[in-house]
Formats: sequence, structure tokens, C-alpha cells
Amino acid sequence: MYIRSTGNISPQKTFGHQPLVDAVVYTGNRLACIEPDYKAFIDPKQIRRMSRIIRMGVAAAMECLQEAGIKEPDAIVTGTAYGCLEDTNLFLSKMVEFNEDLLTPTAFIQSTHNTIGAQIGLLLKSNHYNNTFVHRGFSFESALLDGMMLLNENEATNVLVGAIDEITNPSHAILNRMALYKQGPVSNLDIYKTRSRGTIAGEGSAFFLLAKEPSGKDYAKLDGLHTFYKPAGDSEIEEQLNAFLEKQGVKYNDIDLIITGNNGDAGGDKVYEQLAKSLFQNNDLINYKHLCGEYPTASAFAMWLGATVIRSGELPAVLNYTGSAGKKINRVLIYNHYLGIHHSLSLLSAC
Amino acid sequence: MDKLMSDLKSQIIAQLNLQDTKPEDIGDDQPLFVEGLGLDSIDALELIVLLQQHYKIKLSNADDGPKVFHSVRTMAEYITAHQAQHA
Repeated sequence: MYIRSTGNISPQKTFGHQPLVDAVVYTGNRLACIEPDYKAFIDPKQIRRMSRIIRMGVAAAMECLQEAGIKEPDAIVTGTAYGCLEDTNLFLSKMVEFNEDLLTPTAFIQSTHNTIGAQIGLLLKSNHYNNTFVHRGFSFESALLDGMMLLNENEATNVLVGAIDEITNPSHAILNRMALYKQGPVSNLDIYKTRSRGTIAGEGSAFFLLAKEPSGKDYAKLDGLHTFYKPAGDSEIEEQLNAFLEKQGVKYNDIDLIITGNNGDAGGDKVYEQLAKSLFQNNDLINYKHLCGEYPTASAFAMWLGATVIRSGELPAVLNYTGSAGKKINRVLIYNHYLGIHHSLSLLSAC
Repeated sequence: MDKLMSDLKSQIIAQLNLQDTKPEDIGDDQPLFVEGLGLDSIDALELIVLLQQHYKIKLSNADDGPKVFHSVRTMAEYITAHQAQHA
């Protein structure tokens, strides 16, 4: 199946299909999305009820549909681990503040995880299939798998698939207290050098229009997707990788670029470093989490990056690519894990 | 009454997150729903919460809603009458 179009709001200047040239540099342990002027995409009367994450989700989805020239997809499938945290926080705070009375209806209505998919459906006046997956570090992959199955089983000819997660002040404070993030100031460009515990918080909204048939202007083909949960160790990860590529009929030297999910956490990055010395030793590798930070659906940013690199044929300096200059990127493997628990593999190729 | 109406306009804007709307943009007698400010049924719930939060008034009869929430002036009159009753 084909990735026909994308829409991406991230801590980098990715919205509006701008080429990724220079990295936006952050100091601290939190990267925040660069948001567009939403009024160009959403009716101002409807914006007032949308929290930040809903706006990010709707705008990225609309940009994706606009690029594909599709007014109403056959299905809308979203993935989010945290859901609409800002509204959830507002709703719960009001419950406490007003002793479980006088609850504001808007925050309650908007606090559910499927609000973004539902808002997209409402704006498009679409009654088609609409589903949201909330599976922590597999949320995006589950949505993607659902979209792929809909296409494979001829339930749809095109599917809008997206992943959205936000970081809010309370959630950042809680996760920071749980030592997920680096302590003390660090530049996002230096996270791989710190060799310390923790990563940097991120967020993002990335959407893809998947289609069964080629359009002639697609970004890339999505050849395969595989997830595995809590592998016993490095050897099981290698077995999973070998089995996935064998199933796809692809050898390691067929892969032009591997995008790995290193996030600067000394513990979590060990698996990537081990693979760089073993299975990936002859491959060109790049990382991406210095651009978007770490969050449960960060692999959607990696898919956007992989698809963009395949289509544009460009590897900007911000990706720290060390392979041969001018090399044509025809096949990209993405390997990501979230907290060592949720591991995913995606294979993209040129159309 | 003028002070109460002015307060209500600010509270409505805050409660309903009416971006780009200033208190002076809302007329005292301008209908709040449909053709006026264009509010809808979810906003009606928010206005009920506003009355409870700011004025400790519980709208006991749902049928009174359209009359009470017709405009800023009708809301202010309802609040004044309620406060006089319970003074």
C-alpha cells in the first residue's frame, strides 16, 4: 500500500510540507510543537472548543487530506497513548475544585481519547469507519495495522491514519518525577552524547493517507509492519528482526537507511548500539528523537521522516547521516522501542 | 444592573472561550443563541454551570432556560430577581 500524503506538526518546522533544513534547537528536557495558524484549517467558531492537541490533530489531518486531494477518506483511524491530557486535567481539576459538582461539559466531552478522530469526522461530516487505538507505545502501530487491514480486506480504498500525543505541564512534571527525562539543561542536538539516564520529552501529530492503489505522486510504499512486546533480550530482538525481513523477502544489504529510535537514554539506547555492531553493522543509520523528543507515538514522526527522505531523496544535515553522499534511498527500515517494552519495525520503499 | 451585565459578558467570554470576542461586542439585548452569538446546546450547559459557579443559582426548571438565557439582560434580570428572593 502507498503513503499518498502526510501532515506533520512537530517540534520542528514540519507543517506546510517545508523541507527539513535546520533543526530547531531546544535547551531543557522538553520539546514543544511548533503550531500553525489554525484559522486557515479550522472554522474559528469550532476552534474555541478545541484544546491544543485537538487543534494539532485536526490541522495535521486536514493538511494530509488537502495534499491527497481527498475530501472524505473511507476510514479515519487514530492512535494516541495519552489522549487529550489538557482537557482531562481540566476536567479532573474541576472535579476536585468543585467537590464533584458543577462540572464543565466541554472539558468532559473533549477529554476522551477518541475526540481527535471524532472531530475530524465531524468536520468532514463523515459517517465512515472511525476508530481510535490507545495502546501505549503501540498506539500508532495499532492504528496503522487497522488501516492496512482495511485496505487489504477491501473495506476501504484509502484510509487516514494518524498519531497524536501531547505533553502538558502536569504530565511533564509527573513523568519528570519518574526520572524519564534528563535532569539539568541539555540541548536536543546533544542527547546522544550525554551517556546519562533519561531522555527529552516530546510530542507530535502526524497523519498519513494510505491508499491501496498508487497515485503516481506517492511518498513511499509501506511494505510491512511488525510489533513485539517485552523481548527477553538482544537475541530475541535479533530473531524478530531477522524473521520480519525474511517475511518481507529483504536482506540487510537491501536496506539503504535504517532509522532507529535512540533517545539519549543510556539504558534504552543499548539495544540500538548493540544492533549497530551486529545486524546493522553494514547499514547507514540515522536517529530522529533529537528532532521530536520521546513520546509513545514518536514512531509516527519516524515514518513521516522515512517517507519524506524516500520521496525527496534528501538527507539534510540535521539527520547526521554519515553514508555516501548522493546515495539513492530506496528502502528504509524503522526500528523503534518505547521504554524497552513496545518494539516496532516498519519497512518503507520507493514507489 | 449595568455592572452585572458587564460582569456577565466577561464571564460568558471566559466560560465559552469566545476568542476574538470582547465584552463590548455583545449587546445587552442581543440573542445569545442561533442568530445572535451563535451559541448551541453545549454552551447552554456551560451557562447553567456559570450561573451555579458565580451566582450560586441552580436553574430548577429546564423550561425556563430559553427565557433566562435569551440575552445578557434576561440573565441579569433572572439573577437579580433570584438574589432579591433569597436576600
